[in-house]
Amino acid sequence: MMENFEPVIVAFCCHYCAYTAADMAGSQRLEYSPNVKIIRVPCSGKVDAIHIIKAFEKGADGVYVAGCLDGDCHFKNGNNRASRRVEYVQKYLDEIGIGSERLEMVKMSAGMGYLFAQIAIDMTEKIRKLGPSPVRPLAMQASQPIAC
Amino acid sequence: MVEIQNMNGVQGHNKVLVIGGGLGGIRTALDLAEAEKDVILVDKAYAIGGLMTQLDRTFPTNNCDLCTLSPNLSESGRKQHIELLTMTSVKGVRGDKGNFTVSLETAPRYINLDKCTACGECHKHFPECVRFTPGLDHRAPTCMRYPQAIPQSFSVDLEKCSDINALIKVCPAGAISPDDIGRKFEIQCGSIVLSAGAALFDPSGLDYLGYSVEPDVVTNLEYERIMSASGPTMGQLVRPSNGKQPKKVAWIQCVGSRGLQKGAASYCSSACCMIALKEAIVTKERFQDDIETTIFYMDMRTFGKDYELYLERAKNKHGVRLIRSRPHSILRDDNQDGLRLSYTTDDTSEMKNEDFDMVVLSTGFKIADDVRELSLKMGLTLNPSGFAVTEEFSPVETSRPGIYVCGMMESPKDIPETMAQASAAACMAGKDLKVSLKDPDGDLPPERDVTDEALRIGVFICDCGENIGGVLDVLEIAEYSKSLPNVVVAEPQGHGCSRQSIEQIQKSIVENGLNRVVIGGCSPRTHEAKFQEAIRKAGLNKYLVEIANIRDQATWVHAHLPEKATRKAKDLMRMAVGAVAESHPLKDHSLPINKDVLVVGGGVTGMTTALRLADQGFKVYIAEKTNSLGGMAKNIHTTLSGSEVRPFVDNLIEQTKAHANIQVITRAIIVDHSGMPGMFKTGMQVGPQMFYRTIQHGVTILATGALANRPKQYLLGESEAVGTQLETDTLLADNPETVKSWDNVVMIQCVGSRIPENPNCSRICCQAAIKNALQIRKLNPETRIFVLYRDMRTYGFQEEYYLEARKQGVIFVRYSLDHLPQVQAVGKQVEVTFTDPILGRAITVTADRLCLSTGLIADEDSTEDLARIFKLPRTQDGFFLEDHVKLRPVDLPVPGFYVAGTAHSPKTIRESVTQAQAVASRAQLLLARDAINLGAAVARVDSTKCAACLICVRACPFDVPFINADGYSEIDPAKCHGCGLCASECPAKAIQLMQFEDDRIVAKLEQLFERMVA
Amino acid sequence: MITAERKPLEELIEYVRPFKRILLVGCNECVTVCSAGGRKEVGLLASGLKMALLQSGTTIEIREHTLERQCDPEYIDELLPMIDGVDAVMSMACGCGVQEVARRYKDKPVFPALNTKFMGASERQGVWAERCQGCGNCLLGMTGGICPIARCSKRLMNGPCGGSVTGKCEISKDVDCAWQLIWDRLKALGLEDQYLKIIPAKDWRPAGGGGPRKIIREDLAA
Repeated sequence: MMENFEPVIVAFCCHYCAYTAADMAGSQRLEYSPNVKIIRVPCSGKVDAIHIIKAFEKGADGVYVAGCLDGDCHFKNGNNRASRRVEYVQKYLDEIGIGSERLEMVKMSAGMGYLFAQIAIDMTEKIRKLGPSPVRPLAMQASQPIAC
Repeated sequence: MVEIQNMNGVQGHNKVLVIGGGLGGIRTALDLAEAEKDVILVDKAYAIGGLMTQLDRTFPTNNCDLCTLSPNLSESGRKQHIELLTMTSVKGVRGDKGNFTVSLETAPRYINLDKCTACGECHKHFPECVRFTPGLDHRAPTCMRYPQAIPQSFSVDLEKCSDINALIKVCPAGAISPDDIGRKFEIQCGSIVLSAGAALFDPSGLDYLGYSVEPDVVTNLEYERIMSASGPTMGQLVRPSNGKQPKKVAWIQCVGSRGLQKGAASYCSSACCMIALKEAIVTKERFQDDIETTIFYMDMRTFGKDYELYLERAKNKHGVRLIRSRPHSILRDDNQDGLRLSYTTDDTSEMKNEDFDMVVLSTGFKIADDVRELSLKMGLTLNPSGFAVTEEFSPVETSRPGIYVCGMMESPKDIPETMAQASAAACMAGKDLKVSLKDPDGDLPPERDVTDEALRIGVFICDCGENIGGVLDVLEIAEYSKSLPNVVVAEPQGHGCSRQSIEQIQKSIVENGLNRVVIGGCSPRTHEAKFQEAIRKAGLNKYLVEIANIRDQATWVHAHLPEKATRKAKDLMRMAVGAVAESHPLKDHSLPINKDVLVVGGGVTGMTTALRLADQGFKVYIAEKTNSLGGMAKNIHTTLSGSEVRPFVDNLIEQTKAHANIQVITRAIIVDHSGMPGMFKTGMQVGPQMFYRTIQHGVTILATGALANRPKQYLLGESEAVGTQLETDTLLADNPETVKSWDNVVMIQCVGSRIPENPNCSRICCQAAIKNALQIRKLNPETRIFVLYRDMRTYGFQEEYYLEARKQGVIFVRYSLDHLPQVQAVGKQVEVTFTDPILGRAITVTADRLCLSTGLIADEDSTEDLARIFKLPRTQDGFFLEDHVKLRPVDLPVPGFYVAGTAHSPKTIRESVTQAQAVASRAQLLLARDAINLGAAVARVDSTKCAACLICVRACPFDVPFINADGYSEIDPAKCHGCGLCASECPAKAIQLMQFEDDRIVAKLEQLFERMVA
Repeated sequence: MITAERKPLEELIEYVRPFKRILLVGCNECVTVCSAGGRKEVGLLASGLKMALLQSGTTIEIREHTLERQCDPEYIDELLPMIDGVDAVMSMACGCGVQEVARRYKDKPVFPALNTKFMGASERQGVWAERCQGCGNCLLGMTGGICPIARCSKRLMNGPCGGSVTGKCEISKDVDCAWQLIWDRLKALGLEDQYLKIIPAKDWRPAGGGGPRKIIREDLAA
């Protein structure tokens, strides 16, 4: 199962930078792993700890929150609050036994389509190496990968 | 896409023609459109955006431009008041103000804009004949003009196309039309704004700089392209010669400016010092110790608002090296890797040599030949450099009534000043036009109440030509979507955004009783508004649509893995269907507007703004602190160009007092303020009795001015011979005999400015010194004048007066903070001792007059009070801080508030008038409406869950939530910016951000992991 | 307010491991304000427990409910319709709430999810500090509004000990010496005399030394 394991990764992307960067990766036709699924939020600071935990509970193998570069947040400091929240949730993930390394905070500007693609690739490879999330619902583990 | 309307010009004279789709032209067009006035925007390029789209980052915020500019552009693209004509040039202008006839010529694009979806198939197969990639960098054929081009379309160079039929076949949208012949036509308009922008000096002719032979010598714009994420090297900084990262980069300033080289302009290009600093800082930020940056300059001209702090940051924080010198040559030995710069500095007569890996030439701005030709054709008077000559006290008014200019056409300038001037041009060009109200809800059917309906979701999948359809089977996705819960219709929809498809979607909504819609297509960033409008026209609340971005996030990026792209597209569709089921009808928040205006401050700025708005029919209150109008300008007599100020100010006062729509309240001290944009209430104490009165108004304009600085230095206030430049100006006007008697005059620049206690540059003092020096010499050509300066900051055309002063023998001597001039009183005269940096010796001059260039400082007392009362931010030195330094220079961060003139930062009268007009334009955006639409993405508190814990109050970046009298958190939808921070931090889960509710986000997660793979 | 912190997940897992269905109950008062046991923490803990248990092959059903206040019986009655469907209850309230839930639903095991810490104030977003130990006989009138019982590590009643160095307590550089604060404040108020007055040895009976405490308002008591 590990050999053809295809992780499912959720990327919460802020509207103003990361989501725009993803669009730019698209318009520049930069190929990246199909494993990454984007959920758009107005600001990375909008991503609730519960959203991240729910993503894992539902079956995500990895999650990342993508916001603007430091100082570029459309809402002043939402990205930095998101960073701190991600650190907090990482500790909780360790407690749960999922492992903090399955969650990341990344920052990019709207023009960095290449960085968006690179992060998607890197994150997928990292999670692929880590293997399936230990809490992937058993039924889901047994069946065909649900995505990708 | 642009709504083409009114082409026959029935009401053509009620339009403004804006020529040039750069940043300035876009701002002018948007300002007018948002004030409900009709605009035709023409640009000869095939996409608007101008020069700025090619920059990497812009000062002083150093953020990337695409993030800030692209919203502006898409805004521009969909405004119903703007008719956009690209690839179109102006051939001639007939008629007069209020009734111009303009002949235009549109070049053939060979692509039908209505059909083109910018899929890129044509470009993929025929890169040589499709113009999407003519990046300015000649070394980078792969760079795009910019990825978010408006209109989002290609253009074909037919001459380079060998097989037209093959090209036609390759377009999935059938948009290629080789028979396109372009067209010549005439339009009518009431006024014209020329915002043609500038070209850059071509340094090829300057042999000693080696630009044409050395690949590692680049212009500043080329360096921007190299640094840009969307540039030819994808943002990698590499030497063009060998592809390696440079270790030492040098900038050479004033290439093509300040009259120094062959063919160079006589003026200063104003923005290049900041551009070089920015490029150096960004370079240092990226490579830190791995790179050295050196700027060779003549005078460091960082005269803009807070720019001096930027300079200090470059020097002290980033270690950018600054050398005051003009390199003599750039040479490379055959066997040598680097470029050798030869230069000298003040302290030595020896030639120094230093090697650099790359040299950036800070090339100045100039007016392109075709623009000069066009301006002359339009009947404008131009100065010798080709810039439009404009009114002394109305910088956007040209010599031909009804034609206005902004941006570089007026003089070289940076982005913030261009933006202010563009708004000023909008104000002036729009002032005689009638508002053409287009009721956005006019033709809309009533909204269907769907609250009690069972979910009926309609799914429409775009193939977007080959973009989606070429990678996956759209029909398969549609079939799959049909199997999802609550989906009643699922069908492919070709180009979903085409007019035809939109009509079909609308028909389907009505026929099938759909109450939720999912579009499988492209980015909601660009297309959400379009589909929202579409479903609204079909009777649904506009927030009941969700877009799954299966193009940008699936087919475009997984083109080589069609099976996986298909699976991902299904996932995205499932997520969108799940999320739309959780969507609810939302109401855009709106507020009725009180159209009265409060202007705080009755100086030139305040009066100008008041008059412009009063002329448009708005009632204006001017609250002036002192007992008379006129402000600081009453004490200024002449300008640098020699114009009299007094008649101008007197006339302004007279007009203001006589205007039926203006009420002047003198001796007014603002004491309290409440309300929200469109319905403010401000209390003030008025008159000698401090009688209290309140004023209700919709917008507030701060034109509170600044104070003349009077630091206790250099015997100011102690010796009769010592005075400020402002006092000297008065003496020149009132006591010319005294002035004539002066044999020796010394002027000291930067007194009380650019020092640790007041780090900023006062901007106006260098030109004031030059102005007074020239005036003194006019009265007595024998007077010896010494100007002791640190950097002469005579930007733009002021440089020409600086040159004139030098020609007349005014002596300019530099001093440094380490060697300040010494002043001693000797009878009625003063002895000024200073060190000549070239001779390296102290020199003493016995002066009859010492003029101190003391500049302006913020009126700390009044700005502090006003900032507190109005809750407005200020800069460290007490000036009001605008919302966006570059793009919104006169809008304050609190909606409904604007700032203009010297309350913003020190500036000349001319510059203050520009901002005053700009503010009048910006305020009209709000005032033109009867209600303000605040959108629907606001946070909402469930009072039954709220624990009044204050976490939202503390978390909000904009201080919006508060605990109300009922003991729970309240969030004013009119002030909420919609970031959702409060919602994500609320420990009681009592706050939801509309459009991004938890249920909707969790529904996406649930659906993503739902085992529903077909 | 009463402050609390979530117990380590490990401990909580052991509590609930034997059960198939539990009811996780939050409280919308103090523990919501200090971000320990409100609706949001209930959601996070429910997910966390489920995921942690899943890894050892155990699935557990967790019902989430947050009460307005867990220290009042009327609110606790709200749980009645849910209680029969679960094997055990885990309370995210302070110790008072846990006990009240246990008292009301006698046949269900009730576990605490939080460690109740102290009565404190929010110094700033995310930071809470101890201010009161409920000694039953308030001294603040004599000590410039700063409590030496809650804020002096030794609960000294008459001035600092020798461990007070440059205004800090010897147990940690991050702890202010309460007596330094008291002195500074009295001095600022011009009440230096107050400092010289000897506070007599404290009677700790009202502080709980006399057994569990109770307040009875005769006029209100039913």
